[in-house]
Amino acid sequence: MFKRTLVAFAATLMASSALAWEATPGKPHDGKTVRVLAVKSSQFEAHEARHEAFEEATGIDVVVDYVPFPNMKEALTAEMIGGGDYDVVSIMDQWVMSLANLVQPIDEQIAAQGTDLSDFPGAHMRHGMIDGKLVGLPVRGHVQLLFYRNDLLEEAGVEPPQTWEDVVTASKMIKEKTGKAGIALPYGKLNGQNLMVWVNLLWGNGGELFDADGQPAFASEAGAAATKQYIDMLLEHEIAPAGSAVFVEQDAVNSFKQGNSAMLPLWWWVRSQLTDPEQSTVKPEQLSFTSLPSVGDAGKTTFTNTWIFGVTQGSSDVDAATEYLGWLTDPALERDVLLDEELSEVVAVHFSNLRDAEVNARWGGMHQSAADALATAPGIEFGDDWPRVAEIMETAISSLASEEETDVMAALQKAADEIASIR
Amino acid sequence: MRDRTLQYVLLIPAFLIVLATTLYPLGFSLATAFLDWDLRKSPRPGEFVGLDNFGHAVTESGFQNSLWVTTIFVVISVVLTVVLAMALALLLRRTGGLHTFTRIILILPFAMSPALIGVSYRFMFNPEFGVLAKGAAAIFPALEGTPWLANPDLAMGILIATDVWHWTPYMTFMCLGGLASVPRETEEAARMDGASTLRIIWEIVLPQMKGVIAVAAVLKTIFALKMFDQVVTLTGGGPGSSTETLAFFIHKVGFKWFDMGYASALAWILTIIMMAISIWYVRLIITDKKMATA
Repeated sequence: MFKRTLVAFAATLMASSALAWEATPGKPHDGKTVRVLAVKSSQFEAHEARHEAFEEATGIDVVVDYVPFPNMKEALTAEMIGGGDYDVVSIMDQWVMSLANLVQPIDEQIAAQGTDLSDFPGAHMRHGMIDGKLVGLPVRGHVQLLFYRNDLLEEAGVEPPQTWEDVVTASKMIKEKTGKAGIALPYGKLNGQNLMVWVNLLWGNGGELFDADGQPAFASEAGAAATKQYIDMLLEHEIAPAGSAVFVEQDAVNSFKQGNSAMLPLWWWVRSQLTDPEQSTVKPEQLSFTSLPSVGDAGKTTFTNTWIFGVTQGSSDVDAATEYLGWLTDPALERDVLLDEELSEVVAVHFSNLRDAEVNARWGGMHQSAADALATAPGIEFGDDWPRVAEIMETAISSLASEEETDVMAALQKAADEIASIR
Repeated sequence: MRDRTLQYVLLIPAFLIVLATTLYPLGFSLATAFLDWDLRKSPRPGEFVGLDNFGHAVTESGFQNSLWVTTIFVVISVVLTVVLAMALALLLRRTGGLHTFTRIILILPFAMSPALIGVSYRFMFNPEFGVLAKGAAAIFPALEGTPWLANPDLAMGILIATDVWHWTPYMTFMCLGGLASVPRETEEAARMDGASTLRIIWEIVLPQMKGVIAVAAVLKTIFALKMFDQVVTLTGGGPGSSTETLAFFIHKVGFKWFDMGYASALAWILTIIMMAISIWYVRLIITDKKMATA
């Protein structure tokens, strides 16, 4: 009995310390409603399930509308033009600059709340800034990891690859010993997904997407080497599954889930999907992960993906909306979700949680790996033309993968010229 | 007179709906086509730029590519759909349980959503687990592992095939309707004179079906010009830009590039093409009716 009481007391203590966020005294926004437009995600639904605490503390009613990812940009665009339907919106990093007219600066309100911005990794935080002004805070952020089937690697007698050169060697062994494709990679066109893997090879080869003036810099020796390395995995080494030339991210995931591929470079949030018995043949004990491979001795890199939450220009009550943002971005809320045994939410954007011992114990050290990658992740400055830039580049990669184009340098130069013409 | 007034009053709700959902957006997009409206810079339309947006289309490679892709798609898909529909209609014009059953299940492809068709075919042509890819490999082992959608020509071929599969049933029913009005006596007389089935079809049936076939072809052309959903879900416009139709390209310009002025100009170019075909279509119907009543 005493033991049970002690456990309950400890749990209460932990819960109260976890919920560190504090509402503005006096409930100044009591009775107001904050309307939120969010992309459909189980993480945000987990937040919604905890809204009661926020609503009780502030008197603010929160109403969330979810939109599936494929329709999210159109919904945000409509809100930007029409305006006035939502106070808080979630925006993917690549869209922030082109949707600059949707959100407004919130520096003062966030500073007044005492939010510790240094707890957010720079690679995520930079996407909440426009012209030096804070327009949003990261709530959802991803890094890339290399997921692999430990049973297949063991059967092939290879170690988890640490470089892309290792990937090729290991994949050939895997194909020879198990008959499976070594690595599932996206080469097709959809939201720049092929670009997100390719750019790691570019960085690893010492290349950059843009120079200091924002002009394309990838049509270079490094760019050609990176592109050849990426395309060769499909055409020369044949270590990617058949049909990869049109694979988008989900096709690569499906190949891995179907047990047809041994490795998969992908966002960490997909981990729970990969062993979900309802959609995957991979068992939890077969799945392992490591950081994304490097190119030779070059440092490890990762492309990042960030969703920020900002307050709209059409918001009828900015203070109530930022009060909600303060609660939503509280590290304690994130930790509470990460440690909820009933959920499988791995996403974290606070260094304090990424390096948290308990969080890492639950997720097998995944968050520490992410923290390490994020500490040095170069990140990309997405301009307001990024959606078009990404589309031009993913088309170039897709053309090379499908052999519609065969001259790597010519394809890169063509893409660079096209991008230069719109900048 | 009072009845007449009531007629107009009753029409007002329908007119208002059409005004709000069709005429206003059309008018707004026409106005936008002459404006510089970069959504990245402003949520409101900018200054008047005359015909600049239309002029840009003349030199812009993306538009030219999409126009070429659309032309190829429209020509092949219309010809195949109409020929197949006519052939099926000739097979199904007979009465009987099997024919009736076939006619009923024939409508199923048409009842499917185009987006879903794209997703389904993408799965079915997946070289790893796609049923059609595996089926083809079972018959022709050399096709094992063929990346069907990775080849620009094959991708276009599959895109056309899904569209033909989707539209052929509807066109078949149109042709069946037309065949019902072809007098059987003429055919029977020709058969008694020793004419072969092929000759009867070629010289008696098809000439009388000319109007219906023309209407079906024009209608199918209009639908084919708007091809969008399957491109999004089946090929994503790829590989490269090889299956980027005009409708897909316009969406890209508007919602990815955020160039609303240029997107509106392109949308109006497509609209003008479709309006011209529609006018031709209406004239065909009128001519067909006149021929029928003559």
